[in-house]
Amino acid sequence: MTAEVKQTPPREAAVVQVRDISKTFAGGVLALDHISLEVDKGEVLVIIGPSGSGKSTLLRCLNGLEAIDSGSIVINGIPLDKNEANRLAIRREVGMVFQSFNLFPHLSVLENINLAQQLVQKKSLAEATAATQTLLAKVGIPDKAGRLPDELSGGQQQRVAIARALALKPKIMLFDEATSALDPEMIGEVLDVMRNLAAEGMTMLVVTHEMGFAREVSDRVLFMEEGRLVEEAPSDLFFSQPRETRTREFLSQIL
Amino acid sequence: MRIKRLAFSRLDGLLLLLLAGAAAFLGYRVAVELNYHWNWGAIPQFLIRYDEESRRWTTNYLVEGLFTTLRLSLWASVLALIAGFAVALARVSQSLYLRLLARSFIELMRNLPPLVIIFLFYFFLADQLIPLTGIAHIDMDSRPLLSKVCTLLFAPPANLTPFLSALVTLAVFETAYVAEIVRSGIESIHKGQWEACHALGLSRRQSLRYVILPQSLRRVLPPLAGQLVSLIKDSSIVSVISIQDLTYQGTQLMASTYLTFEVWLTVAAMYLALTFPCSYLVERLNRRLNRLP
Repeated sequence: MTAEVKQTPPREAAVVQVRDISKTFAGGVLALDHISLEVDKGEVLVIIGPSGSGKSTLLRCLNGLEAIDSGSIVINGIPLDKNEANRLAIRREVGMVFQSFNLFPHLSVLENINLAQQLVQKKSLAEATAATQTLLAKVGIPDKAGRLPDELSGGQQQRVAIARALALKPKIMLFDEATSALDPEMIGEVLDVMRNLAAEGMTMLVVTHEMGFAREVSDRVLFMEEGRLVEEAPSDLFFSQPRETRTREFLSQIL
Repeated sequence: MRIKRLAFSRLDGLLLLLLAGAAAFLGYRVAVELNYHWNWGAIPQFLIRYDEESRRWTTNYLVEGLFTTLRLSLWASVLALIAGFAVALARVSQSLYLRLLARSFIELMRNLPPLVIIFLFYFFLADQLIPLTGIAHIDMDSRPLLSKVCTLLFAPPANLTPFLSALVTLAVFETAYVAEIVRSGIESIHKGQWEACHALGLSRRQSLRYVILPQSLRRVLPPLAGQLVSLIKDSSIVSVISIQDLTYQGTQLMASTYLTFEVWLTVAAMYLALTFPCSYLVERLNRRLNRLP
């Protein structure tokens, strides 16, 4: 159970420190049940679990999209609390990629990626555009800057969303089922981008159903069910010798 | 949805045609049963007349009324759009106080008969508030240019105070409807758009300004335009407070000429001439926006 996690002494290098957080939704559903978690700089953590297990909620709590009922979250040394300045500061440190992309449909690809650079980082249009072009090249679609999101394939849209999140130079990237809404043939191109990102040393928290990706790229895997952290282990151990019965059952179902 | 309720569509046109048919039938009955003597020849002089004094053709009651209706609708639309946006933003504000304030205003305006609002506002505004602005004391007689501009844009100086009261009244209750349309547009935007903004560190104001409002604006343009068309029609109620709009001129003419049917059919045709092109434009707009991604 979570006992092992609690025994781990606090690491100073941890960029994500989650202490004993809980969250109950308005309908009375317990989404997170006393979760504690630390993520080191450069670490790739994959969170898996059946749907409704609270893994997306956990990610969304980390950048304040959902409020926690109890416990504490510290991102890169900044506590996530009621303080609006801290909240904004954390959102600048943390990039997020959504299952449904959430691109701004009325803006071109270029404008989508420029927007936060201009508004949050106060870059000039020229500076932002230059950075955007670099990012678009990095995610493999340098020629789509002038297009509207609806004119792109799902895989391309998700790559734009990744570029948009990267534009603010976040220290941590959250991927909330980034490939779940994609047609199978497009999953690979998005995973490639994520793989490259991991190789560059980005700290990543990834909620995914792509077990191949999890096994290959992640340093650590976390298995959640019904809001609880069931098992946490280095990824090779997690897949080869899962300790918990529930984990084994889950893995046998999806592998 | 809301669009369905507010757009002035072909069906309305068809209904109007049916009504016209029924009116023709009634006209026939009137002629036969009431022995009504049609006198269409008397109507044109109330549209335009030849002024002996200045030896020029000039507009008469009905056309003057149409212009008043136009001026009233135009300024009320401008005011209602500006205020409506402000109220809609208050309605979705994070401040409970602003939300309650906006909500109370909207519910009050939408749940009172416009006629009652008109009377309440007219006697209050005209009697209490407008004199405070000192507009009535501006000396227009010695400033012919100002007087002319005032007449062209609003009303002759003598009628300015009641015109402004009517204008503000109309604008105030249309504001409530505009606000509801804009609010529905803001709330129709998927919450993922807000989340993307938050995740990118945009402030609430920035999110609204650059992401939410541009998208909602496009969605609410057709129902907004439709609402403005109905504002033209709603403006007829100001005739009860003696604003000399098209409807008021109709009642006056009817009283002095007894040409009941001719007068009202003409008035109806003049309203149609105003609203129908607007409705047509709204529908064109609707179709064009639907075609875009």
